Amino acid sequence: MSTTIVQNKEYRNKQRIKDNFISAFIGFFAIVWIFPILWTVWTSLRPYNDIISNGVFSWPRHLNLDNYFTAFRKMGLTHYFLNTLYVTIPAVGLTLFLGSLIAFVVSRYSFRFNLSLLLLFTAGNMLPIVLTYIPVFWLYIKIGDLFGNRSLLYNNYLGIILVHVAFQVGFATFVLSSYMKTVPKEISESAIIDGASVFRHYWNVMLPLLRPPLAALGVLMSCWIYNDFFWALILMSEDSKRPVTSALRQLQGQYITDFNLLAAGASIVAAPTVILFFVLRKQFVSGLTLGSTKG
Amino acid sequence: MSDVNNGISRRSVLKGAAIGGVGLAAGGSLLAGCGKKKVTGDVHFTIRGNLSDAGAKINVAVNEAYTAKTGNKVISQAVNSDDFQNNFVQIMQGTPDDAFGWMAGWRTNARADAGLLADVSEQVKALGSTLSAAAIQGATNPKDGKQYIIPTTYYPWGLHYRKSTMQELGLDPENIATWDDLIKLCEATQKKGLVGYAMGDKGGWEAMGTFDIINMRLNGYQFHIDLLNGKEQWTDAKVVDVFTHMGQLIPYMNKNFLDIEWDGCRDLLLQKKAGAMMMGSWFANDFKAKSQADYDDLWIVAFPEMNPEHGIDSIDAPLDGVSVAANAKNVEGGADLAQFWGSKEGIDAAVAAGDTSIYISSEFDTSTYDAFNKQKLAVLGEAKNIGFFLDRDTRGDFAGPVVGPALQSFLKNPKDVTKILENVQKQWDALPAL
Repeated sequence: MSTTIVQNKEYRNKQRIKDNFISAFIGFFAIVWIFPILWTVWTSLRPYNDIISNGVFSWPRHLNLDNYFTAFRKMGLTHYFLNTLYVTIPAVGLTLFLGSLIAFVVSRYSFRFNLSLLLLFTAGNMLPIVLTYIPVFWLYIKIGDLFGNRSLLYNNYLGIILVHVAFQVGFATFVLSSYMKTVPKEISESAIIDGASVFRHYWNVMLPLLRPPLAALGVLMSCWIYNDFFWALILMSEDSKRPVTSALRQLQGQYITDFNLLAAGASIVAAPTVILFFVLRKQFVSGLTLGSTKG
Repeated sequence: MSDVNNGISRRSVLKGAAIGGVGLAAGGSLLAGCGKKKVTGDVHFTIRGNLSDAGAKINVAVNEAYTAKTGNKVISQAVNSDDFQNNFVQIMQGTPDDAFGWMAGWRTNARADAGLLADVSEQVKALGSTLSAAAIQGATNPKDGKQYIIPTTYYPWGLHYRKSTMQELGLDPENIATWDDLIKLCEATQKKGLVGYAMGDKGGWEAMGTFDIINMRLNGYQFHIDLLNGKEQWTDAKVVDVFTHMGQLIPYMNKNFLDIEWDGCRDLLLQKKAGAMMMGSWFANDFKAKSQADYDDLWIVAFPEMNPEHGIDSIDAPLDGVSVAANAKNVEGGADLAQFWGSKEGIDAAVAAGDTSIYISSEFDTSTYDAFNKQKLAVLGEAKNIGFFLDRDTRGDFAGPVVGPALQSFLKNPKDVTKILENVQKQWDALPAL
């Protein structure tokens, strides 16, 4: 009797040490990850003047929110946020729609090319976008010239939306098809026996079941597209049409950059994604494990 | 010079010709009228750099003055300078704005050779004698002798220091006439516990300013430009001499010169931790941001003479201006606006809006300038030859990737100079022809 108690105690102690070690480990990395963000916020509260006269590591003489107000005013944020919405909402919607269509076909119907089709879409995802930007640029210009309007795709929201859809649809297909494979075949079979057409099968049977992965993907993709700066920079010649990430570049001068103001701007621009994360935390976490149960 | 923009249509000329002899006279007046043809249509304009409050005001003021004069509307946008430069080739091949703020030197000439910029020689000619010969020379593409940029402003690279620091140390930087004087000044500053010659070269380009000026002082402007364009060898004893002199400054530099960028270097001066700093004087507003007293304390002098043959006849003064996209919708309108930015009316509008840039034009009124800006003018006035700074005087794929790291490794290990210069020459030789 007494020996088991001792053993339990030993076991508990061992467990406690292990827990503590793990907590310390996690805590350490949490600090490493959170530090740059906290430093950005900290920097954003200090005036530029304070930094140049006393140095970055000096004790602050003044702390205020002036940088936030200035950044908000200088960046014309409302305008750029709207631009981001014009791009993000259609792009995410289209990606999910097209991705789920392809995923549906490759996972529910078996034909000769369905694996290679899935591979094609997934492989496209591996291509670094910087390799493709010159061809995409010329493609847009040439297509525009073909229709006699150079701004058909280039310097146009349509072009940015399409390029995002093209690059994200591969990942969406991959995730959605993996998820669809976990949905019992019997559901599809009964739908087909009941006489559902292909589209009805997709729209009324599969799509409602896809709600969790669609929500998770929607959140992830909104964040990715929201954070994009590259395509807008390459494919938009007018700055007033670019998304909010490029508004940040407005805060940088040719020679002189007020990093405190920039930090405030960055915090403002990052805020929506952070808020989105906290509101849709559940979807985010399920997004991490999407498609991991069955490949 | 299409029919549409001439104001006189082809038909009216034919009509004139029909009346016989009068036709000749009409033809003559048409030719004479060419120079003053009216340019119409909206003009799109890109300005680089952030539209800080002052910059925005100047941009609006000049463009509004142009609209008031010509009736042509200007639609302007501000873009990040780096993004614009990095994507320049794409932007120019897409749907570029008609005119845009740009930089003279290699960055203009190479793009002009590629057919991306419109010829503005006519506009430069119209501005004529208001531009100094050196400015026109600087804006001219050596390959075809035409101008692709209307030069407007420039700023000097010189030795900056704080008057109060020098006074406390009992030094007189106004009288550093020779290299030995400069070394003595650095030594004296260092003895008092300050940094003698502030340097920050983390960016790789900052030390180019020091290299440029020593090369121009020792070997003259022509040798410097020839060297940067492959007509002289980097392994030349003359270049080695430049590096030897640069090496003499290293003991007086702050030890962390490879850890800080130009702004760290500026802070040394701002915080009264350094004596002299070789830098372009764009940062003066940071002194003003700290306080008016700090700004009033700032001063600039020309780099001292090193070779009596060349005296102080050269300076690095990056020349900015306005260029026109060859691919633009309204090339003529763009060129007209570009010319306006370089004209007296344009400059007056800019200065009235608070611009403190140094304009090239001889018609530019400096009476509203403060002492520091007048001193900048004086420093510029001493020079006959204007370099544009190494990264604008030579190929873009040579300055940043080759010379920058070479200067950094030299500052780290000055003894390796022969090896470093051989390496630079080898890399120049390996560059593909343009």
